[in-house]
Amino acid sequence: MKTLIKIKPKEYKVGDVVKVDFMAMHPMETGMRKNKDTGEIIPAQYIDEVKFLFNDKLITKMVIWESLSVNPLMSISFKVPGAGTLKVIAKDNKGQSVESIEQITPKG
Amino acid sequence: MERRSFLKGFGVVAACATLLPHVANAADEAKKVAGPNEMNYENAVAAITGGKPLTPSAKVVIVAPEIAENGAVVPVKVTVQSPMSDKDYVKAIHVLASKNGNVRCANVYLTPANGEAYFGTRVKLGGTQDVVAIAEMSDGTFLSAKQNVKVTIGGCG
Repeated sequence: MKTLIKIKPKEYKVGDVVKVDFMAMHPMETGMRKNKDTGEIIPAQYIDEVKFLFNDKLITKMVIWESLSVNPLMSISFKVPGAGTLKVIAKDNKGQSVESIEQITPKG
Repeated sequence: MERRSFLKGFGVVAACATLLPHVANAADEAKKVAGPNEMNYENAVAAITGGKPLTPSAKVVIVAPEIAENGAVVPVKVTVQSPMSDKDYVKAIHVLASKNGNVRCANVYLTPANGEAYFGTRVKLGGTQDVVAIAEMSDGTFLSAKQNVKVTIGGCG
């Protein structure tokens, strides 16, 4: 599972509220779609839990379902308390899990 | 970016064709497939609020297109007016698509560290329906807002 974290805007100060975009490359199968050739139902596979941590302290926890689009985007706000590490842990219903890290380096 | 997201979405039009079994036409009705997490709107709201009243509120702002050309990728943004202090903050934002097979899209549990109560995502919609945002406040009340989204592409219901 490939992931991408984007902080908007790119430059920020301590105390600023920034937007954190998290994207994961994931099929988000609903479990209702059929394979056109064989007629078999493609089993559901979707990200069901995403956690945003800053310096290992939980900021936001999400429980998500198959209704999110393919390659889902999740965006939250975050008030920058200082420099540190932002970690996003995403897990899908088949137990596949991925950790992505972004350094938070406020200017000024 | 628009072109890219359009192309991405195009490939998954088929994915949402069966998202909305109960508005599918009669021929599809016979071979409809129940999803793994089927849940209707009333049950989902009851599960979130635990029977507490849901108050429509201007404090909850939901931004979604009125007309979505492609039901597979519908951008939804929810903002809730709140100071996000330790005593008064938004505990959770729930996003529901009122007529999808499984109406639940995302339950987002926030903390004061967010600074602002905001959640943005992209959802699949099986057809024209309301997208509902429910905000759970720290004082235990539930506020809501909804936006009707017309889904025009035929493949999605």
